Formats: sequence, structure tokens, C-alpha cells
Amino acid sequence: MLPFFIPGEGGQRFCLYHPANGLTRGAIIYLHPFAEEMNKSRRMAAIQARAMAAAGFSVLQIDLLGCGDSSGDFSDASWQAWQDDVLLAYRWLRTQTDAALTLWGLRAGCLLAGTVAVNLPEPTNFILWQPVVSGNLHWQQFMRLKMAGELASGQAKGVTAQLKQRLASGQSVEIVGYEVVPELAGGIEASELLPPSLSNSPITAQPDILQISEAKKPAVAWFELSTRENATLAPASQKRIEQWQSCGYRVQAETIQGPAFWQTTEIEDAPELIVATMAALEAF
Amino acid sequence: MTILEQDLNTEKEILSLLDEILCLNGRSSDFSRNTPLLGAIPELDSMAVVALITGMEERLGFAVDDDEIEGSTFATLGSLIDFVEGKLAN
Repeated sequence: MLPFFIPGEGGQRFCLYHPANGLTRGAIIYLHPFAEEMNKSRRMAAIQARAMAAAGFSVLQIDLLGCGDSSGDFSDASWQAWQDDVLLAYRWLRTQTDAALTLWGLRAGCLLAGTVAVNLPEPTNFILWQPVVSGNLHWQQFMRLKMAGELASGQAKGVTAQLKQRLASGQSVEIVGYEVVPELAGGIEASELLPPSLSNSPITAQPDILQISEAKKPAVAWFELSTRENATLAPASQKRIEQWQSCGYRVQAETIQGPAFWQTTEIEDAPELIVATMAALEAF
Repeated sequence: MTILEQDLNTEKEILSLLDEILCLNGRSSDFSRNTPLLGAIPELDSMAVVALITGMEERLGFAVDDDEIEGSTFATLGSLIDFVEGKLAN
């Protein structure tokens, strides 16, 4: 495992590179979730990245601008800057290996993966862990943290409305210690987890996936977690998955038994998710 | 389903969510309607409250408007159950 920095716009990005053990069978970029969820999920990301490297996949983890050990404050981050960071990571990874690309995301990291893929010059596979399918809903839920923080003091009423008002007037908002600028909030809010060919971007570097032969079509491994046995995928996810399939992706979607480790109070492991992810990767 | 059965179901769902999100390892089985939550359980921070609200929305199939929630909603297990039953009755 190699920790290093990539120079980027507004400073350096902290990266961790896990080179494949032996022949490189695939190249993977990990995209972390939003705000506190990133901290909660560090351990699972590390365990998974190591398992991938051991099985012959080279993995690059990048801390996005203003996150983790990268340069900048959270208030420097915008949705566009984070997309640029993914392209930065991609270009670096391509100096190391030509193996087939997979974007692996957790929560909002999936949303970022889907958004940025349209600007990659090659098709990519996806590993999506508990994907955020609606940026709008994700942002609403993040704003709730502020409201929840005010519950005990009885000042919770109208908190969300105040946040929206500040953002609309071009000011940043502070939510559980994260200073968010309108460019970031707005970018997340406007994003949907769509296959690259359905995105609104006017420029797409992506080849038409429907024209690719069946066996070579890019794959999507979509995993959701539940502590309950035999849980089904969220209805909102079902609809999205059909869109990915109709755009030519081979989608495997599954609910795995395990804790919501990105939000649980204690740092938890979901070993069955690691197993399922490795199996999916083998089948790509 | 009788009203009593529905009440028990709601309580069970809420307890299982609390246990999962707060990592209580089954401690929630000792909870009663009078068990204080917000301010009494240190693990119940902002992130846990939001996870709880979101989890209830997803599992029990209702949407919460942020202005509907007050500190008193999360005062005790009983007040939380009452809130959820109110949502389910609408």
C-alpha cells in the first residue's frame, strides 16, 4: 500500500494505492461517501481495498478536495471540483495499469461515479455500495443533521427553511461542522444516479454501450445492506436498475445482510459485503 | 390486523431500528414506553436521530416533514411510538 499526493487544483489530493498482487486483472478507483459517512466507512473501505489487491486488482483511493487528508477546507469543495478529482485519479491510475476500469463507490460516492463516468474516455464497470440514487434526497437528509442537532435545545423548527434560504442567497451553511457552499449543495441536489448515456451532460466521451457485444458490456454490481434476513432492494433502486439495464449494462443487484456501517454509532464490519463484492468482481 | 397488533408491530420496528443504529446489541429489549431517549442515551446524536428518522420512513412507508419533529418526539420510547402511530394513521 502506497500513500502519496497528486497535485490538483487548489492543492494536493491524498491517495492510497493498493497495487495488485501479481498480474493486474483490473483497475479500481474508490470514491468515498459524503461528510461524516466517509469517516465511519474508512475501515470497510480499507478492508475491501486490501482484499481486491490481494486478488489481483489495483485499487486507488482518493480523498476528494477538502476531505480527509487532502488540501483545502470542506468549504472549498464543489460538485464540479470533485468530478475533476476523479478524472485526476483516473489519469494517475492509467499511468500504472491498462487493466479494465471499475469505479467503486459508497453512498454519495456512487452518485459521483455515475456523474463523472460520462467524461471518461472508456467504458467502466461499477461497484455500488448502498448507492444514493437521488442527490436531492441525500441533501435533504444531510440538512436534517442540523435540525436533529437543535432538537434538544427546542430550536429545531424552521432550521431547514433557514438553510435553504442561506444557500439560495449564495451563502454557505454549516451543518455538523461541515461548511457547505451553494455550488456543492446545488450540485449534489441536481444529481441522479443515472447510467452515463442518460445523463444530461452535453459532451459524452463514452462509447455507445448498446453497440458493444454482450460479453464485453460493462457490469454493475449493486449492493444494499440490511440487518434483516431476506430483505429486498429499495423500490426506488429497482426503478434505477431497470434504467441501467435498458442502457446496456449487465446489472447484478443484491441485498446483503449486514450493518449500515457508514452511519452506525460504532465502527462496524460487513464481512458478507466483502465476500459478495469479490464474487461480483470475479464475474465482471 | 387489530389495533393492538399494529401497535406491537410499530414498537418492534422502532426497537429493532434503535438497536441497529445505536449498536445496542439487544439492550433495547429492556426498553419500555417510559425509557427516556434524547439526552439520556449518549449514542443518540444528530447522525443517529437522522438515521432513525430515515429508517422509519423507509421501513414504515411514511414521509416526515422536518417541521413536524420536536425534541419531545424523541423524549421517550413512548413519545416516539405515538408520533409514528400518528403518521401511520394519516
